[in-house]
Amino acid sequence: MTDRRRVNGPVGSTHPPVFENEPEQELGASKCLRTRAPTVTRKMYLKTGVTPSASGSAYLEIETSGKGSVSGLKLSCTVHGPRSLPRSTPFSPHIILSTHVKYAPFATKQRRGYLRDPTERDLGSHLETALRGAIIADRWPKSGVDIIISIVEGDQDREASKSQGGEAWDMMNALSGCITVASAALTDAGIDCVDTVAGGVAALVRDEGDDTTPRIVIDPIPSEHEQILAACCVAYLPDRDEITNLWFKGDLPASDMELYSQLVEKGIQASRNSNEVIVSSLRETVG
Amino acid sequence: MPLDTSAYGLALLRVDGRRWNELRRMHAQIRTQAAADGSSYLEMGHTKVMCVVTGPSEPGPRRGGLGGTASGGGASSAQSKDAEVAVSIVVAGFSSVDRKRPGRGDKRILELQSTISSALAASLHTHLFPHSTISISLHVLSQDGSLLAALINAATLACVDAGIPMTDYVVACTAGSTSTYAANDEAADPLLDLNHQEEQELPGLTVATLGQTDRVAVLVCESRVQVSRLEGMLAVGVDGCKQVREILDRVVRDKGHRMLLEGTVERGAGLDDMEVD
Amino acid sequence: MASTTQHALLSPAELAYLHASLSLTPPIRPDGRSATQFRPLAAETGILPGTNGSARICFADGTEAIVGVKAEVERTRRGDGGREDDGGELGGGGGGGGGLGSRLEGDFVEGLEGDFVEGLEGTVFLGAMLAEALLASGEFAKKLWINRRFHWKLYLDILLISPPLSYPLPLLSLTTHLALLATRLPRLKSEGDEDPFFDDDWAAAPYLYTRTKDGKATSRPPVSLLVMAVGNNIIFDPSKEELAVADVALAVSVGEETTKTDEEVDESSSSLGRNLRLLSVRTIDPPSRLTPPGVPNATNSAYGAAATTQKQPEARAAESEAVEGVWKAPRGGAKALVMAALVQKSLVRGGVADEVLDALDAVDLVA
Repeated sequence: MTDRRRVNGPVGSTHPPVFENEPEQELGASKCLRTRAPTVTRKMYLKTGVTPSASGSAYLEIETSGKGSVSGLKLSCTVHGPRSLPRSTPFSPHIILSTHVKYAPFATKQRRGYLRDPTERDLGSHLETALRGAIIADRWPKSGVDIIISIVEGDQDREASKSQGGEAWDMMNALSGCITVASAALTDAGIDCVDTVAGGVAALVRDEGDDTTPRIVIDPIPSEHEQILAACCVAYLPDRDEITNLWFKGDLPASDMELYSQLVEKGIQASRNSNEVIVSSLRETVG
Repeated sequence: MPLDTSAYGLALLRVDGRRWNELRRMHAQIRTQAAADGSSYLEMGHTKVMCVVTGPSEPGPRRGGLGGTASGGGASSAQSKDAEVAVSIVVAGFSSVDRKRPGRGDKRILELQSTISSALAASLHTHLFPHSTISISLHVLSQDGSLLAALINAATLACVDAGIPMTDYVVACTAGSTSTYAANDEAADPLLDLNHQEEQELPGLTVATLGQTDRVAVLVCESRVQVSRLEGMLAVGVDGCKQVREILDRVVRDKGHRMLLEGTVERGAGLDDMEVD
Repeated sequence: MASTTQHALLSPAELAYLHASLSLTPPIRPDGRSATQFRPLAAETGILPGTNGSARICFADGTEAIVGVKAEVERTRRGDGGREDDGGELGGGGGGGGGLGSRLEGDFVEGLEGDFVEGLEGTVFLGAMLAEALLASGEFAKKLWINRRFHWKLYLDILLISPPLSYPLPLLSLTTHLALLATRLPRLKSEGDEDPFFDDDWAAAPYLYTRTKDGKATSRPPVSLLVMAVGNNIIFDPSKEELAVADVALAVSVGEETTKTDEEVDESSSSLGRNLRLLSVRTIDPPSRLTPPGVPNATNSAYGAAATTQKQPEARAAESEAVEGVWKAPRGGAKALVMAALVQKSLVRGGVADEVLDALDAVDLVA
């Protein structure tokens, strides 16, 4: 089924060069390891109302993990709406949420294009699930709201020449940040929510060197650990004690449900921590 | 790999062992899909397609342009007096030898869609269903030449299954010529039902007729061919369509007969004089 | 997410009734199934000789999907350097091709098509979910390793044939599972790191998921189950109507641990049951959040409620209190315990995951 009427470009793509990183081999021992306690999250900076043209906006920055070359996560979120839907859309008794998550082209080591790739779309749908539970949707019939998040800087170690398969886990951290920042921006826009939802990540990790049992840490940085066995990202409403979105990924024995429950429990704990940040930031704005 | 056409002159056999006027094995089934209004599965040699018909129904909320739905029928369905025939074709990535990335908005696919849509719209009694849509979705599972012909045949069968009134079967077939355009061979024989290899090398056309009549519903020729050969090819193609009609008719009658035996349907008033064996 | 499932056109009264009947103990489902029962299905494999593996599944309600697997040899990018020897670390990596410096992951691309799969978001979500489960244990990527210079790239194309009468996840996951089980790759004839050269004999081609002598697969691809909770009940494989009243819905991906030797297989299958692994859990946005709410008689002016002029405060009050028998779209999330119970229930020995895998065992595999 070739398109015989036109001349098509060559199929396949070209690969960006990957450089062998010699010093990294030598520095292997001095690899940055986690110095925080397992239950301590990184410091966060959150400010709402940064974009005057949007109905609501927020900016979130997560501290770098101590080592200079590791960038922290920087997110900016704008909320547009609630506004009326275009005339052609069928009646909806609820507010229609649309979420866009986009990495800036320069946010990660590999350049991202301008169109959203499957990872970004996937993040978008996770975020939608997380927020849909928090918003009181029936107060705005026939209206829509757009939530747009741009990830200005991803959470990636610039020096590591090869990823340790960490990209998949980075998504978890990014999602957790997205949920937190979007929740703050929604509040800034004055959209009624049952509670402020916040994201938190917990992971089951095995550290380098010690062959002891894996441990659970919250707010993990993939490059700090030898191997991540499983991770979960939780969107949690602290007042109602409810989870709006749960995303677990990894490989756990089914016989050990205890481990899974602990992981979720720690995720909730991480989420509570970020929720405190939201609340104190909002208090500042009001006061 | 160029097709060795030189051997044809010796044994009068084609690459796959057929004579010039032979169809490939054709196998069809109707009512393959319980959830749809009409459905069919058709094999022409190794070309395998599936068809699902939904409708005639009220046009639902307009799908975005991303769905790959091309409406070839009436321009604005809501106002039109006739039912719109919306055809969408999905070519599976695994259908050809090398895996193809399914491209959205491939011009060839769009063309196939509008060809099928206009052919069926002419044969179906669309005036009976004003303000409605008949959506035909075709899935290409495996392709080995004569794709358009297989799609038209499958769509016809599915429309029969959906019980949409139509004047007659729209049946299609391909025809080609034994030597290439460049060979300029005056003694070239016409060929019936081209496979993929022949389609790549030889001039060919797809013709669809309305049942047993000689009335041509679709004629698509995308290759260079000498004018003198065209008439022969067309004649062979139309002849092939008649054979195809017999096969499709047999499939429909067999299915109808089976459904009567199973008691799925009541024997209708008009069925007594129907020749069922 | 709801875009993949067309909205069930149910009135608030119907929703309330459905919710009530599903909350009973035991729940009464519209199609008469028990809470843990799957829809009956017809499956076949090896339907397309042109693919490396293919499968078709047709559920009793008429939803149907076809999956075809195609494999291509691809050159592994250089520069992964020194650490290639420790094969134990292969896995990981996201789905989709072309990550910078991605390790020797089996490149794996998943496509999902069919004109019924409208709304790109839903498609991406489903695709990511299936890919995530496959790549969760590094085992799958290892199977695609040819030598240090080449690996297989596997394309999974999923065709949804029928209109989406229900949330298509279980259908697509089971079909993918069978197609992968039936997948065979040509036998490698070349040795070491030379350009790969394969055996022409298809009969000699080994299965991607190796088999024991009696044709049982020793390891198997994951399956994703759809689980939802209504009231105090946990319901598996919900239909579209049932999903429309769900309090919470989860997609749980379950894999089976590779068993090493035949003796172990016998021992484990007889006494211990399956060695299941939890690979992924995702919350699915229940379409119930988008259903229209009912109006209780007390506030319905048609039933003599006083036409309220100072509407706002009363409307707010009515919003919060739940009237029995009047449908209200669920708000907020789900308790962590409920979520844990959903996962637990699908994984327990002799539970639904076991049952589904047993049923899939019964499908004859021809490639």
